[in-house]
Amino acid sequence: MAKSDDCVHILQGLLVFGNVVIGMCGIALTAECIYFVSNSHGLYPLLKAAENDIDAAAWIGIFVGLALFALSILGIVGVIKASRTLLLVYIILMLITFAFEMASCITAATHRDSLTPSVFLKQMLERYQKSETANNSDNEITKTWDELMLQNHCCGVLGPSDWQEYTSAFRLTHNDADYPWPRKCCVLDAQGLPVNLDGCKLGVSGYYNSNGCYDAISGPVNTHAWGVAWFGFAILCWTFCVLLGTMFYWSGIEY
Amino acid sequence: LPTPPARLPYVPHVPPTALLGKITATTFALERPRCVFDDHADASDAVWLAVAFANASATFRNPRSRADVPPYKELPTARFYMTLETAAAAYSCSALSPPVLRVGGDTACRDQGRQDPCNGPLPSPGPYRVKFLLMGCRGPKAETRWSEPILLRRAVSPGTIAPVPTRRGSDVVVISSILASLGAVLATAVLGALGAKVWGFLRHQDFGTDAFTHRSFRTHHIPPVLPQPPPPGCGCGPPGLC
Repeated sequence: MAKSDDCVHILQGLLVFGNVVIGMCGIALTAECIYFVSNSHGLYPLLKAAENDIDAAAWIGIFVGLALFALSILGIVGVIKASRTLLLVYIILMLITFAFEMASCITAATHRDSLTPSVFLKQMLERYQKSETANNSDNEITKTWDELMLQNHCCGVLGPSDWQEYTSAFRLTHNDADYPWPRKCCVLDAQGLPVNLDGCKLGVSGYYNSNGCYDAISGPVNTHAWGVAWFGFAILCWTFCVLLGTMFYWSGIEY
Repeated sequence: LPTPPARLPYVPHVPPTALLGKITATTFALERPRCVFDDHADASDAVWLAVAFANASATFRNPRSRADVPPYKELPTARFYMTLETAAAAYSCSALSPPVLRVGGDTACRDQGRQDPCNGPLPSPGPYRVKFLLMGCRGPKAETRWSEPILLRRAVSPGTIAPVPTRRGSDVVVISSILASLGAVLATAVLGALGAKVWGFLRHQDFGTDAFTHRSFRTHHIPPVLPQPPPPGCGCGPPGLC
C-alpha cells in the first residue's frame, strides 16, 4: 500500500537524520572532552588532592563520543537495509553507551557540586607551605597556589582574611607580625619584590591583592563540568528519541 | 615635687579607615595623633606609647624618667610596657609622616633581645589599652587618655571548616532525575518488547509457527495471479464465448 510505504520511508528518513546528528554530536563530545582533559589550567594538583574525579567524567566522554559515532554509522546502515540483526545489535550497544554517558553526566554534575570554597579553603590552610612531613602532593599544592596567586593577582580562597581567621600550616613557619598573609598576596614589582611591604602588611589598598582566588578556580572547573554534563544530557535526550524510533521500526520489520 | 603631667583630652584609637591588617593576631594599628602635643612639647621631648592589658591599665604608673620605662620583655609579668619612642616633632601639625602607627611590627628586637624600646609582637589577644605619654628630661609632661580596649584577632583551627555542601545543587537533581527516567523508559521498552515476543512465542508454540507480526512494513513479493490465457482458437468476442 502506497500510504504505508510512505510512512515507512518517512520513518527511515527520520531515523537516518537522527543517527547523523548523533554521529556529529559524538565527534563533538570527543573533541570537547579531549580539550578538557588536556587543558586543566594547572589546577589539576588541587583537584587531585581534593579527591575529585571530574576528569573521570571527561575520560568516559571521550570513549562514549567515539562509540556514538561508530554506532550511528551502524544505525544508518541498519535502517536503510532494514536488517533486524543489525538493528538489534545497534539497539543493545546503544543502550550500553547510553548507560555509560548517563554515568559520565551524573559524575560530572555531582563532582562539580562538591567543589565548594570550603574544600579549597581547608586544603589550602592545611597544606600550603607545609614544611614538616611535607610530601610531593603538598609541594605541588604550594607551587600551584603560588602560581595562581601570582597570575590572577588574588589572595587566598575568599580573601587575605582567610590567613587571619584560621590557623594554618603557613602560620606555623611564618609569624603573624611579619606575614599576616603570604608575600605573594602583595603587589609585586618586576623583580618579584613587594612594592610597599609595610602597606601590604597593613592592608592598604593598592599594595596588596584583596580579592580571593575562588573565582579563578571555579571558572575553568565550571566550564569543564557543565560542558561535559549538560552537553552529554542534550545528546542523551536526542539519543532517547532516536532509540525509541528505532525500536518501533525494528518491531515492525518482518523476517 | 615634679608637676603631674597634663591630661590631654585625646583618646587613641584604631584608624577608622578600611585597612585589612589594622588588627591581626599579634599587631594592631593606631591613628597617629596630630597637633596633640604641640602645646606642651619641646624639641628634645619624646612621645612614648604605653600599652597595658585592659584590666591592668589602672595599675599603670607613669615612669619618672627614661630609665624607669617598663621594657617590652616584662609585659607578661608586669602587664604593661612602653614602646614606640619617637621625637615629638613627628607628631606635630606640620609633620609629613604616615597616618598610621603599627604596634607590634618589629620581630627582630624580640628575637635578639635588645634593651632598646622594642615594638615587638603582642603575645596574646589582649584586650589592650594604650595611651601616649610625652616624656621630657625631668619626667612625663603630658599624657592622653586611655583608649578603649582593643581586642586582637583569634584564629580558629581549619578543622572547623565543613567541606561537604549541605544541599545538592538543583542542576544535579534535574540531570539525575531526567536521565534516570529516560533510562527507565528505555529499559521498560526493551523488556516490554522482549516480553511480548516471549509471550507470543509461548502462546503460538502449539501451532509451531512464529506469527508475531502486527504490522508488516515489507510484504513478501508474491507474484500476481495472471489470468489464464484464452485457449487457442478463440480470438474474438467476449471472454468465454467462442
